[in-house]
Amino acid sequence: MKRISVEHLARVEGSGGISATIDGNVVTDVKFSIYEGPRLVERLTVGKTPEEVVNIVPRICAICSISHKYAALRAMENALSIKVPSKVSLLRELMHLGEMIESHSLHIYYLALPDYAGFPNVIAMASKFELEVKIALEMKEFANHIMKTASGRYIHGENPVIGGFGKFPAREELLWIKSRAIQFMPFVLKTVSLFCELDYPDCPEEDTVYACCHPYQNKYGLAGDEIILSTGEILNKDDYKSLTNEFVVSHSYAKHSRYKEKPFSVGALARVNNLGERLKGEAGKMYKKYFNRRWKRNPLFNNAAQALEILYAFERIPKVVEKMLKLSDPAIVKYNTKEAKGTGIIEAPRGLLVHSYEISDGLVSYTDIITPTAQNAEDIERYCSIAAQKLLDAGEEDKIKDRMDLVVRAYDPCISCSAHMAEVKKAPAEDWKTKLAEIKKKASPIFVGVGKRDRSDDGAGIELALKLKKLGVSDVYLESELVDYKIPWKYKGSRPLIFFDAVNFREAPGKVTFLPLSYIMNNTRLSHKFLPFISMQMKYKHLKNAYMLGIQPESIEEGTKISPPVHQAIIKVLKEIKN
Amino acid sequence: MEKENNDKLKIGIYELTGCAGDALLILDCEKELVDIFNAADIQSFLMAKSDNIDEELDIALVEGSVSTEREKEELLDIRKRAKTVVAIGICSCFGGIQAAFLDQKEWEKNFKKIYGDTKMTHTKPVQSKPIDAYIKVDYYLPGCPIEKEQFLSTFNRILRGNPPELYRFPVCVECKWNENDCLLNKDIPCLGPITRAGCGSICINHNLPCVGCWGLVEEANLTSEFQLLQEKGFDYDFIKKKMANFSGTGIADFLGNLKGDKK
Amino acid sequence: MRVIKLNKENLFPFLEVISEKADLWAPVKKGDKHVFKVVDDFSKVELSTTRTILPPRKIFLPPTFSMFNISEKGYEEDFSHVTKKILFGIHPCDIHGLLTLDNFFKQDYLDPYYLEARKNTLILGLSCWPDEYCFAKSTNTHIIEEGFDLFFTDLKDFFLVWIGSSQGDDLIRLKPEFFDENLTDTDIQTYIRWQTERDKAYKWGINFNALPDLIELKYRDSLWEKLGDACLACGSCTNVCPTCNCYNIMDKQFLGGKDGKMIRYWDACTLEEYSEIAGGENFRKKRADRLKLWYTHKLQAYISKYGKPSCVGCGRCIVTCPVDINVRTVGKALLGEKEDAFWLRFNKEVTK
Ligand code: SF4
Ligand code: SF4
Ligand code: SF4
Ligand code: SF4
Repeated sequence: MKRISVEHLARVEGSGGISATIDGNVVTDVKFSIYEGPRLVERLTVGKTPEEVVNIVPRICAICSISHKYAALRAMENALSIKVPSKVSLLRELMHLGEMIESHSLHIYYLALPDYAGFPNVIAMASKFELEVKIALEMKEFANHIMKTASGRYIHGENPVIGGFGKFPAREELLWIKSRAIQFMPFVLKTVSLFCELDYPDCPEEDTVYACCHPYQNKYGLAGDEIILSTGEILNKDDYKSLTNEFVVSHSYAKHSRYKEKPFSVGALARVNNLGERLKGEAGKMYKKYFNRRWKRNPLFNNAAQALEILYAFERIPKVVEKMLKLSDPAIVKYNTKEAKGTGIIEAPRGLLVHSYEISDGLVSYTDIITPTAQNAEDIERYCSIAAQKLLDAGEEDKIKDRMDLVVRAYDPCISCSAHMAEVKKAPAEDWKTKLAEIKKKASPIFVGVGKRDRSDDGAGIELALKLKKLGVSDVYLESELVDYKIPWKYKGSRPLIFFDAVNFREAPGKVTFLPLSYIMNNTRLSHKFLPFISMQMKYKHLKNAYMLGIQPESIEEGTKISPPVHQAIIKVLKEIKN
Repeated sequence: MEKENNDKLKIGIYELTGCAGDALLILDCEKELVDIFNAADIQSFLMAKSDNIDEELDIALVEGSVSTEREKEELLDIRKRAKTVVAIGICSCFGGIQAAFLDQKEWEKNFKKIYGDTKMTHTKPVQSKPIDAYIKVDYYLPGCPIEKEQFLSTFNRILRGNPPELYRFPVCVECKWNENDCLLNKDIPCLGPITRAGCGSICINHNLPCVGCWGLVEEANLTSEFQLLQEKGFDYDFIKKKMANFSGTGIADFLGNLKGDKK
Repeated sequence: MRVIKLNKENLFPFLEVISEKADLWAPVKKGDKHVFKVVDDFSKVELSTTRTILPPRKIFLPPTFSMFNISEKGYEEDFSHVTKKILFGIHPCDIHGLLTLDNFFKQDYLDPYYLEARKNTLILGLSCWPDEYCFAKSTNTHIIEEGFDLFFTDLKDFFLVWIGSSQGDDLIRLKPEFFDENLTDTDIQTYIRWQTERDKAYKWGINFNALPDLIELKYRDSLWEKLGDACLACGSCTNVCPTCNCYNIMDKQFLGGKDGKMIRYWDACTLEEYSEIAGGENFRKKRADRLKLWYTHKLQAYISKYGKPSCVGCGRCIVTCPVDINVRTVGKALLGEKEDAFWLRFNKEVTK
């Protein structure tokens, strides 16, 4: 796979889908794709003035338009060395809180709750959950009102500009927002209990790394100049590339990201996991009441985290308004820098958002925008494959589609994406042939035979490798030849690595299955420790380009005799590889 | 009384390439959402519901521009199924921000810069175009995003079989209604005179110049606006880019025919 | 007409007293311009304004308002924009503007939306001092003899107050102690001196008498084409003019069987849509033709009917049009005095 990390697509919050391919008892392929066309937003910005770029970039995504504007403003102001007066920061915080409430309430009430309650949409749900639907609509309307007051309109308001605001809201408008926020509290508390007490399925559950902005002064917050990880590491915003480090995948117009060769997650759950201890007031109490270890391993708890953040926002609004009322309206800060570069980071509702710009001769010459969904894409695929395999193992294949929906939706990639569009595909017969041919087309693979020759069919992998060697195929290794497991990686991940092994998938003897090596971690019935072990050692980019060709054994009794169906399979594979 | 679904007009709301802002705006009609669902049989609306069906439609509302082969096919299919097609938002009406690469070569160059040579397996990208580049559009509802009141009244008119009634004059008219002091007269580059009204001149109400997000007004006097901005000391390239930001393909001819542009 | 005296310091207290009777509209600052607004904080009232951005007609006919509520039962007239108002601080030219509008709206059929609002609004005029754009002396609208309930002439230390109607008199009676019935000779001398000085302050003018003929003679002049090339068709001149009165209607329907509304909004003959008739045919497609219509109306047609132009010399079009097409430049061009260099450039191409 080709890696490009120079520039990439910004727009991921669009239509997309997730698909899982099932070959017999094995999930062989999970892909999270964004079908939405490329908009080349980053390229559109080149040659424009910083002001124009701030107009254009929020059009990446309407649901996060305020966050995009905020991140762009922070990046530009960092670049241009502008320090905005505190009233400006406060009004920006207010609009951002508005977006947080609007996006979270839309997500949990309009999208997630109908899922859990079994309705096709929020309006249909009104028949049974009248109060909840009423709260949802009013909460969203209030949040929209805040955004309109601060930014000029519901979506794509142009009032926030580099150096300040075109106009500040009047005192009465701010006071109204404050009193309304206070009035709302009982409903907000109800929302938190509702979503923290939902019965979230325990599959998938698996560790991951969480990343979010590191807010100032040890407080909970949605902005900062550093990134904090659940591992305890803290990165400066200017080093964001060491975290996000994106690459193009051929099945999506959204790029994928990983940190230190591992997928990671961002979003409300990441924030609550990393910073929850800092929550004060009612939000602090609720956190203590509901938070538990499952939140750290199960992406479905994102809905609970979002509800908690709505509460945080409602408690924060009156404070922000109070502070604003004490300050007079500052003029827009002017600048005259022509050469500059800078980065701004912010927490969008669905996670860490990075904007980075270079300005030369007064015009933007380089733009890098990293959206939360780009960062989550790898983990979305990973959690979906875990869930799919677990459900398949438990004989609950019919639940896979809905569960993947839930996982994708929990990540809240955006509302169009999180609509139901999961797809479960049955692999056609002999699917491994097509897969193998595809891999071979990209680059010539390296083969490794794995197994025990003295345990009949368990030696199939070794047998296959030896036969290949004999036929003069180059770059074929045996498990035992992988001294320090170093040999294959000298190819720097540019050539695919294919392991042969006998694997018990509870299929008919001799059935061949081809799947990404990373998936074997999801499969609990693997007989060999070797492959899980080696895949732990591998760098993520190697792992992403490694596969396993597994043959179903008939018997693994002691002895060296290979059963007829497995023998036939070996011959078939040999033929395919030679082709 | 709630009407049975089979008496209601069948509506589909579709999103092509855009920011989902127009669809979101429909969801932002919190007070009217119940009425919208009651007044029409919403057959497909990916953002709002899960039981979507793609059958014969009375009205299709389409957001976003066409940017992949797959979207092109989807759009042709929508046209086949729908009696009336309404373009919502400037992406759909004029191509939107992503149509600002005015020629194919420029677009290809920029596509490569981002995706390199990776072959996209899922769908082939094409240069962004407004939907009327491929199908006949019955009505246009501009805006970036569309405006709530305008959407609601238009939606209702269409439901009753009436064509939409939209303002066909520039932002300046609303700007004067809101009694703003003209920014052009203070040498601030405002695109109000060439931009379609409907937003309520909100930017100027906030002391900021119009950047043209509603697209070109039918009778935009581009030459005069261009001259005026040059007159005020703005740079030729600056004006050109500024005008192209939101006007999509609508401005291509004008900019293409400009004198003094030797590229 | 009775004339009395009001001390400067009593003005705001007086306004405060009368504002209990009705909403008081007065000029206040907006940026570095002025607008008419309902005031409750009288320290914000500006006494030395020239023109407001929009003319006072917005108080009688807002830019958009609802004419009818439409329901299953039918149409019901909506007069919610008509409330009791007092308009303070309106200058002579603008009062003339209202008198001109009166002519239009009483002409063929009566316009109840305007007339009702007019009936419910008291006019408290205020004298002014011309700036470099005013030319009300050419249109003879710089002084006013009718059309107000009270008129305040600002003579620095005090106001002379003309009482123009019994309703005006009623207002005075609310606080008679603020006023002085006895004018001294010095007061009258001060007024006469002020008037002479003010007349001299009008720096320029147009000979309107010559224009009706010239418009006919130059009806096919290339001048109009040049104007049309420059015109942005933004409608601003029309919207700010105190004597423009065209409007359009649009019905707004609401979902779910709720009532609809018939909205009336300011239209402008300089906009493309204005001359479009049913079926999409437009008999004034060209901007040049539309401009010709506007100026013919202001400078010729109205004169033939009423003996004076329908321009009141307020100068709003001069300060508003971004490409300098206004009564001054067009008038002077017609008179052959000076063709404005600015819009003459516009028949050229854009160049790098
Ligand atoms: S028109 Fe504007 S709001 Fe609508 S999809 Fe395009 S960018 Fe978004
Ligand atoms: S400020 Fe802009 S929109 Fe308003 S009148 Fe002037 S040019 Fe037109
Ligand atoms: S950019 Fe222009 S059209 Fe868009 S919202 Fe602002 S004023 Fe309206
Ligand atoms: S034509 Fe111009 S100067 Fe005359 S009344 Fe109208 S706006 Fe005022």
